[in-house]
Amino acid sequence: MKIVSMDVMSTGAIAYYVLIASREGFLTPILSENNINRVYADPVPQGAILTAIVIGLSIQALMLVGVMKLSRDHPTLDTHEIEKDNT
Amino acid sequence: MNEITIAWIALPFFVGFLIYLLPKLDRYLALLAALASVGYGFWLFFQDSPLVLTLLDNFGVTLEADTSSGFFILTNALVTVAVVIYCWDTNKTAFFYTQVIILHGSVNATFICADFISLYVALEVSGIAAFLAIAYPRSDRSMWVGLRYLFISNIALLFYLIGAVLVYQANNSFAFAGLRDAPPEALALIFLGLLVKGGVFVSGLWLPLTHSESETPVSAMLSGVVVKSGIFPLMRCALIVPEVDPIVRSFGVATALLGVAYAVFEKDTKRMLAFHTVSQLGFILAAPEVGGFYALTHGLVKAALFLCAGTLPSRNLKELQQQPIATPLWIVLAIASFSISGFPLLSGFGAKILTMKNLLPWQVIGMNLAALGTAISFAKFIFIPHQNSIEDHKSRPGFWIAVIILLLGLIGANVAYYDAYNLTNTIKPLATIALGWLAYFAIFKRLSIKLPRVVEQFDHLIGSMSLVLLLLFWMGFAWLDI
Repeated sequence: MKIVSMDVMSTGAIAYYVLIASREGFLTPILSENNINRVYADPVPQGAILTAIVIGLSIQALMLVGVMKLSRDHPTLDTHEIEKDNT
Repeated sequence: MNEITIAWIALPFFVGFLIYLLPKLDRYLALLAALASVGYGFWLFFQDSPLVLTLLDNFGVTLEADTSSGFFILTNALVTVAVVIYCWDTNKTAFFYTQVIILHGSVNATFICADFISLYVALEVSGIAAFLAIAYPRSDRSMWVGLRYLFISNIALLFYLIGAVLVYQANNSFAFAGLRDAPPEALALIFLGLLVKGGVFVSGLWLPLTHSESETPVSAMLSGVVVKSGIFPLMRCALIVPEVDPIVRSFGVATALLGVAYAVFEKDTKRMLAFHTVSQLGFILAAPEVGGFYALTHGLVKAALFLCAGTLPSRNLKELQQQPIATPLWIVLAIASFSISGFPLLSGFGAKILTMKNLLPWQVIGMNLAALGTAISFAKFIFIPHQNSIEDHKSRPGFWIAVIILLLGLIGANVAYYDAYNLTNTIKPLATIALGWLAYFAIFKRLSIKLPRVVEQFDHLIGSMSLVLLLLFWMGFAWLDI
């Protein structure tokens, strides 16, 4: 459950990046002959968040694998139970 | 010069993958990569001006390497060398060495980054590699400790990410210097991420459990270098943007006191060392200008202490007082403890003096108290009984070589600040140590208070993160007008 909520958080962060990028305008930033003066979305935050999306995904996968391993002994996956047994 | 830097950054990652392809050569390759970093760290000391690299215009990656990163890189390299040698004759698989060397590489990268996004990537990679290293034994316990670490660091970095984009919004660039023009909430979010990652103050209370429950070499690596990957950007921000300097310094003092207060009452060797890491990080932050040297001595000494603690017959200090240990082991333990308490002839002394000199007046009382607490808690190690006749079964040649490298580094680092040796400077630490021992025998040896571990519970860790966020926001709002 916590992992899912972490994913929701990261989605929020990503959406915020997209919002910042589209503040000035939301057209695709590709330069062509006839549309020089149009309002473009800022490509830099988009590029940066792409990295973060990939990292978020891989961490997500890694954590789920870890949780699968833990679920063998703690089928309910209650963090309080796990914590009590392991600290 | 630029090519060397880039090749050096890429080398550990390349070696990491190569180890997987050539598992027979794992240790040699890992050692090679770490030695390359030792060389690079030394080379940085002989550069007159800081090396600045801007790749792909000002939107891209910025790197900046100066002498203080040199100190951090050297720490990282020496600790990695020691850890690889320590594991030499154990049957760790190639996978373990891959993780260690990728961890090494990503931590190196954080030490020369100068923009928020490359720092984010480096921190995330180090988090993943650290998780894999912690979870290497595949037991339930290690799995849980690792997951807890990964979860907390990932949440913290999400906050950090939002802060980074606010900086970008204000400056159209992710460079550290942009923090000045950014709104206070950006400062609060970014600092929260770094404070959690670096294990500072209440947001760093995840650290004791993680560091004490992982395997010996991994704890040495985590405590010696990985936490510094959060500390170094804080230091650098404090230097680049002088306005945030008081915030960093006050967190330094608060951390030093909090960590040492826990360490004094702790009865478990590894947990005590971990709490000590928290307090020593406070020392580094308390004087950002000279934090590099302190970080070097602390990294070396902490790695040596963790390796020793792994060889001790028991983790409980009460049991250790009944049960004598072998003399050579005791000597190593005593040298390391003396250095961390700031005894002359060891570089811990120079580092403490240098930090104390660079404190602001309001910090002095707090830091002296913290130094006293350090002396008290390390008296526990120094007064463990020892005997010549005891055979130690657990120590192996790899352990001795690793520890000797670390201790030689500790003595060698004295040259960096030899002005410290004059009479007044020498008397003060000696008095602190004497007072600390006195307090230990008079009070703390008999005391058996067990501090509650409530705040270290998982839910509370996440909760305290948001409290620290509020605190930071208030600090940024009230103290700076940016």
